[in-house]
Amino acid sequence: MKQTLVTGNEAAAWGARLVRAKYIPNFPITPQTECIETLARWSADGELPGTYFDRMESEHSVMSAAVGAAAVGSRVFTATSSQGLLLMHEVLYIAAGMRLPIVMATISRGLAAPVTLWSDHNDFLDQRDSGWLMFHAENNQEVLDMVLQAYRIAEDPRVLLPAMVNMDGYVLSFTDEPINIPSPEQVEEFLPGYDPAHTIAKNRPVTVGPPVLDEYSIFRAQNHVASRNALNVIEEVQDDFEKIFGRRYHLVDEFMLEDAELVLVTQGSMSTTAKAAILEMRDEGIKVGLLRLRIIRPWPNEAVAGALKDAKAIAVIDRNVAPGKGGIMFPEIIETLYNLDRRPLVSGFVVGLGGNPQTENKVKEITHKLMDDLAAGRPRMEWNDLEEI
Amino acid sequence: MYKIRIHGRGGQGAKKAAKMVGLAAFKMGKQVQDFALYGAERRGAPVMSFVRINDDPILERGYVDDPDVVLVLDRTLLDLVNVADGLAKNGMLLVNSEHKPDIDTPAEVKNVDATRIALDTIGKPIFNTTMLGALAKLTQVVSIDALNWAIEEELSKYPKELIEANKTAVRKCYEVAK
Repeated sequence: MKQTLVTGNEAAAWGARLVRAKYIPNFPITPQTECIETLARWSADGELPGTYFDRMESEHSVMSAAVGAAAVGSRVFTATSSQGLLLMHEVLYIAAGMRLPIVMATISRGLAAPVTLWSDHNDFLDQRDSGWLMFHAENNQEVLDMVLQAYRIAEDPRVLLPAMVNMDGYVLSFTDEPINIPSPEQVEEFLPGYDPAHTIAKNRPVTVGPPVLDEYSIFRAQNHVASRNALNVIEEVQDDFEKIFGRRYHLVDEFMLEDAELVLVTQGSMSTTAKAAILEMRDEGIKVGLLRLRIIRPWPNEAVAGALKDAKAIAVIDRNVAPGKGGIMFPEIIETLYNLDRRPLVSGFVVGLGGNPQTENKVKEITHKLMDDLAAGRPRMEWNDLEEI
Repeated sequence: MYKIRIHGRGGQGAKKAAKMVGLAAFKMGKQVQDFALYGAERRGAPVMSFVRINDDPILERGYVDDPDVVLVLDRTLLDLVNVADGLAKNGMLLVNSEHKPDIDTPAEVKNVDATRIALDTIGKPIFNTTMLGALAKLTQVVSIDALNWAIEEELSKYPKELIEANKTAVRKCYEVAK
């Protein structure tokens, strides 16, 4: 298949174009800007027929408008980053609670203060409990593929939840790499037009998101059940996706795990570098593998536990931090393994905040520290980038 | 894998230059990755861009800390930035400068007066594309044909004359670089 050189931002824009999003409310913010610029150019050039490209005054307004448009049955796309995502936060819960399958590309950037433009995952993971489906891509091909799949999963009547597709700022968003861009016909076959059963319509008044009393927890429970349902739907759509596009994805990405005694758990673009380091360490005889978390919500318990259960020691590499606790995914991995008959040792490493580069050498350093932890029988939780804090 | 790091100032086209080299190598059937690293876009501030070129899929990301070749678009950066940082011993530092600069590096240092060539051919100091002629000549990492294709592709929104002037500047820079 012919490949095209595009950035992660452009890959997300291609996703929005190919799914024929009807409404794209937007507000620019680095490092998402190029995604919106690309869509703006296409819109001005008449290449997005039937799409209303709507420039707004803030991200709070963007998500509010997205909710309105999705409630009347439109397919909606938008994108944001960092502070913009935080400004949307309040409305994210409303989108999930109203069960609106909006898809949003989030382009990770560290949060102020102090200000950084470069990537870490705190902005994305801050939305962890919002009720949205949360997907995290490793490369630009996966960004585009995840946007296509996100609509199919989000719009499934068993799910009906909004979905976030995350990519790392700069390292993906501003990086050109070759990807396959499918034809509109292929995407139409995978994802027909959106025709929801329940919408607000002119002659059919309905109430969405009303005040409730005793019923509140029923709605929250339904949000939870819908999110759990998505685990099956994510797996179901892979057959169709592979048949049409020739690629297939799993709930988790397993790399050299078959005989791995040491496992690194990663997220996003740093996984690529970690895989390169693992290939080199394998040549040195170190039995190390990698588990990449690509579906953050719903949490794929069984897939994660299944992939990690035979490891002797695990390093959870968090490109984020919950101050006063540690890496955000570190306790999630420990919880997932807690009820196994034999529990591996789990150490946590906070790395790469504000775009601090994650090199192969740093990955090797973490692996050697993990070997020390295993020998000593004592896990650690530390900031790998810093000599002292 | 072949790695290129480009140093310039915001507005000088370091990002565009990386994109063009990436496109050219991609056209030649290589796996490529190009990207730029900058803060808030400030015209004149030091910026960097990068290209990785490989036969196999690229398993490296982000900042290039061990380049095979470093391109310096603006020699006034030499006092501000350690442009030779991490440069391979058998690598090359190629500076847009009238004279060969004195830089402490075991790598080979070359210079080409791309600003002069750009002023003579394009009539404007568009030295980012111009410098690529020297890159093609001295490293052979991309061909001049592939570069021409990349220039046409990347500048397709600009007037034909400007595209042709850029191609001429690249050709001239290719011829004089040594």
